[in-house]
Amino acid sequence: MAISLAQPRQSPLGLAVRGILRKPSSRVAVFILGVIILVGLFAPLIAPYDPAAQPDIVALKSLPPSLAHPFGTDPYSRDVLSRVIYGARLSLSIGILATVVSLTFGVAYGAIAGYAGGVIDAVMMRVLDAFLSIPRLLLLLGVLVAWPRLSVPALVVFLGLTGWFGLSRIVRGQVLALKHAEFVTAALALGASRRRILVRHLLPNLVSPIVVAATVGVAHVIVLEAGLSYLGIGVPQPLASWGNIIQDGADQVATLWWMSLFPGLFMVLTVMTLNVLGEALRDAYERR
Amino acid sequence: MTEPLLSVRDLRTWFYTEAGIARSVDGVSFDVGAGETVGIVGESGCGKSVTALSILRLIQPPGRIEPGSVIEFEGRDIVTLDDHAMRDIRGNRISMIFQEPMSALNPVFTVGDQVAEVARVHGDMSRGDAWKRAVEMLAMTGIPDADVRARQYPHQLSGGMRQRVLIAMALMMKPALVIADEPTTALDVTIQAQILELLVDLQKKIGTSILMITHDLGVIAETTSRVIVMYAGEIVEETSVDELFARPHHPYTEGLIGSMPHIGHDKDRLNVIPGTVPAPTDWPHGCRFRDRCPYSWDLCAREHPPLYEIGSRAHVSRCHLAIEPERRNHPHPPIVVQEGVAAA
Repeated sequence: MAISLAQPRQSPLGLAVRGILRKPSSRVAVFILGVIILVGLFAPLIAPYDPAAQPDIVALKSLPPSLAHPFGTDPYSRDVLSRVIYGARLSLSIGILATVVSLTFGVAYGAIAGYAGGVIDAVMMRVLDAFLSIPRLLLLLGVLVAWPRLSVPALVVFLGLTGWFGLSRIVRGQVLALKHAEFVTAALALGASRRRILVRHLLPNLVSPIVVAATVGVAHVIVLEAGLSYLGIGVPQPLASWGNIIQDGADQVATLWWMSLFPGLFMVLTVMTLNVLGEALRDAYERR
Repeated sequence: MTEPLLSVRDLRTWFYTEAGIARSVDGVSFDVGAGETVGIVGESGCGKSVTALSILRLIQPPGRIEPGSVIEFEGRDIVTLDDHAMRDIRGNRISMIFQEPMSALNPVFTVGDQVAEVARVHGDMSRGDAWKRAVEMLAMTGIPDADVRARQYPHQLSGGMRQRVLIAMALMMKPALVIADEPTTALDVTIQAQILELLVDLQKKIGTSILMITHDLGVIAETTSRVIVMYAGEIVEETSVDELFARPHHPYTEGLIGSMPHIGHDKDRLNVIPGTVPAPTDWPHGCRFRDRCPYSWDLCAREHPPLYEIGSRAHVSRCHLAIEPERRNHPHPPIVVQEGVAAA
């Protein structure tokens, strides 16, 4: 036998971890993302100032980077570094939570359509086509025009609800392909119920595409949120997200360059590392 | 034989396809006694696998078991059983060993998990007890270091090991009947013998009946006591193994045995049965084998042969030669119908 007993466990999770750690580029990505997540997690401990405090709206407004304010201050005299740190917390949370909402809907919808098949599948897929034909940003703009001044939780829900269409397609396709696999027939032959087959046998086989979609999905939501906040319809003031920090300095980009450079840098780094990780995960699963 | 364990009567499993109704299994009747090993042999498309799946009621639409079919098992008719009772039987009283051990195992779970799951589905076993039982079962099927192997994934095992895992799953609940659908086809020849030996061995230990489905007469000879030969959705011959090899009656059986390679026979070519199984949407009228048969005559086109008794009730054959045996002395080249042209 060519395979030794000492081989490590090849669980989907173990596979993902080893796949990521194999490539130097993804090791760097894990490190950068880890730092950003830690910054967000411990924002209150790290941030030098209160992100919403406007200590002196006349003397301290729009200062360029200095020792006291490494990222400068905004037109309301708030410390940009503190706002970027808190922004990490909010932007990442929105990204992750909205993606959780998307995953829940996308997996449930796709799995049901694929497993049910027939008329149910056909109807569900046409409904999905209708949603897919409207650009996500337009959907969101429509919602946000109807309900201006959304709270952050509501924003998360709407971002999540507009992000599951593509994933549910993938899940549906996989379930469709797998439901006639011999191990499914074998499980039926051993007395498993249809529900058990879907939950215990089919969904675990979808972990890889779901994890990849989730990683890329978080990056998407972060960019979307920034876009919406930039348009002034995302995260409401005085909360700080990367998008609305940039927005605060948008009308004077040329002079207040620090206001878009630093949050922008963080955002680009986050999105890039997430995409690198998504790629690495895809590779790891495909190599199997 | 006393009351049989499984009694199949006039089983018809038809598929309603766009090309027409495929009568894949078309009026099959047979019994399997307790502790007995019965073989079903035939080439691809003869309906043997559909028969197996019908017994577990795993036929998916557009296929269905036609009303009037009866599959009596332990005194209950499987055809009319409700879904819940059916799930209780599957894997518990009747289980199945599949052909392709790689694809019949779920790639993302350890093999131990998958064996243990059978106990979790059917018994009120705790996770720990089920796992312990699974490791025992794996050890019983001859897997060395079963406790280590149990924590591995299917792709980490060899083909023979995987088949042992499937056997462990099938025997976990000590079922009354195990259906083995080509259990050795996907394996290396050297492993095949081991697996067959294991099956026979475990059968003795557990006392289960086996329905051995195969296209390989070698497997039949090694494991079974009684053989059913299927062709074009029906049984064409049924008898004991010894009788089958010594005195095959149906020309199809004769052809099957004649087409087995023999060591020592110095021949350049194997004997083959000319032609292929006709399409199940369009079985020929009369005898379904007549287009490939070296003995067929006008009666064969006119009348669908019944199962004739050959010498005793234990040997039956669906061939008109039973009433005109002298025709066996005058074979003629069969009229092979060209592919794509419907039999007239």
